[in-house]
Amino acid sequence: MPNLTIDGVTVEVEEGAYILQAAQKAGVHIPTLCQFDGLEPWGGCRLCVVDLWRPGWDPDWFKMVTACNHPAEDGVKVFTSTPRVLETRRVVLDLLLARCPETALIRRLAAEHGLPATTFVRNPEPTDCILCALCTRVCDHIGVSAISSVNRGVGREIAPPFHQPPPDCIGCLACAEVCPTDCIPFTSSDRQRTIWGQDFEMLRCSQCGRAHITVAQADHWAARTGVPRSYYETCDVCKRLHHAEVFARLTAGG
Amino acid sequence: MEMIYKVSVGRCIACGKCELACAFAHGSEGRPARTRINILRRGVELGTPVVCLQCHDAACVAVCPTEALVRNQRTGAVDMVRERCIQCRMCVAACPFGNMLWDPVYNCVQKCDLCGGEPRCVPFCPTGALTYVPAEEAAVRPEPLDRSVLAGDGR
Repeated sequence: MPNLTIDGVTVEVEEGAYILQAAQKAGVHIPTLCQFDGLEPWGGCRLCVVDLWRPGWDPDWFKMVTACNHPAEDGVKVFTSTPRVLETRRVVLDLLLARCPETALIRRLAAEHGLPATTFVRNPEPTDCILCALCTRVCDHIGVSAISSVNRGVGREIAPPFHQPPPDCIGCLACAEVCPTDCIPFTSSDRQRTIWGQDFEMLRCSQCGRAHITVAQADHWAARTGVPRSYYETCDVCKRLHHAEVFARLTAGG
Repeated sequence: MEMIYKVSVGRCIACGKCELACAFAHGSEGRPARTRINILRRGVELGTPVVCLQCHDAACVAVCPTEALVRNQRTGAVDMVRERCIQCRMCVAACPFGNMLWDPVYNCVQKCDLCGGEPRCVPFCPTGALTYVPAEEAAVRPEPLDRSVLAGDGR
């Protein structure tokens, strides 16, 4: 198992772990924006940059890598807050703050890095989307891929194909739930759910009529996992009641 | 040694001590209405404890989009990893027993994790309706409870 040093703290991590996990184990905080434990690391936000030194290198020679997706190799030394690391993070946050000047998460992180306001030109049309791609990655991960990033450079954004209601979307709200800045709008009621301009019919409990997921969600997950569709057709409260009644009957007298 | 969490429905007197133990063990500030074990009260001193069955081929694990539900190899329980959960509630919809409990206060699902291999409800159960026993003992039919000593008439 690889042994490495993070800011002077030596840790041993599992084979295949990344530097970020090693840092967590060492008790060293590295800021992140596009990292989510349930998804593969992506290295998109560039906030988790660290300096890396490998045995055999000149003592003053370092390589800057993203901690989230760089393997924790044996013998390396990692430095998470050298002046050039902090300066790189500050530029990343400065640019994000220019793009998203009103976003609480970015403002807080920027303030923590000594940036009360952006030094670049403030985006005349402020957005909350930081392009971390967590939404598109979670959508890919569940096998739907209804949204993706479109265009390049300053015109880059997250959108469904051709800005039309996405036919593949199942209305699961995973994108909206995982979004660190809550910038994906949706509405959801007992009758209908709307996200990305698409309306979804809700699946109602066969016993009590309460809606819990969309019909498209039930179809998708039944086909993807083999969990029978009938499991979704009753709400959790009615299922629990039924389960308790069956148990009481089966064990009557015992 | 594989341990099994065993529920003997016939021995439950619906006293609710397991619910209280659970509420306090899991940082729910003693809210018995939001515990991971619930008693369906069927009559005077008659109850059915309802708790996660830790299914081997679990529907909740199959539908979790972010691998937030993982089998704990040591305890055999399905654990919920809070950092990975995106609150999509597919597990709540998929569990055929209705045992994934949505907690609107903490905005996450609550599920039994066998307290990491030492279920806190077990020592509080006064009648042995809840036990944590080696796998080979789990199939032994429980002794019927002598209900003549109880206050109610057990109907």
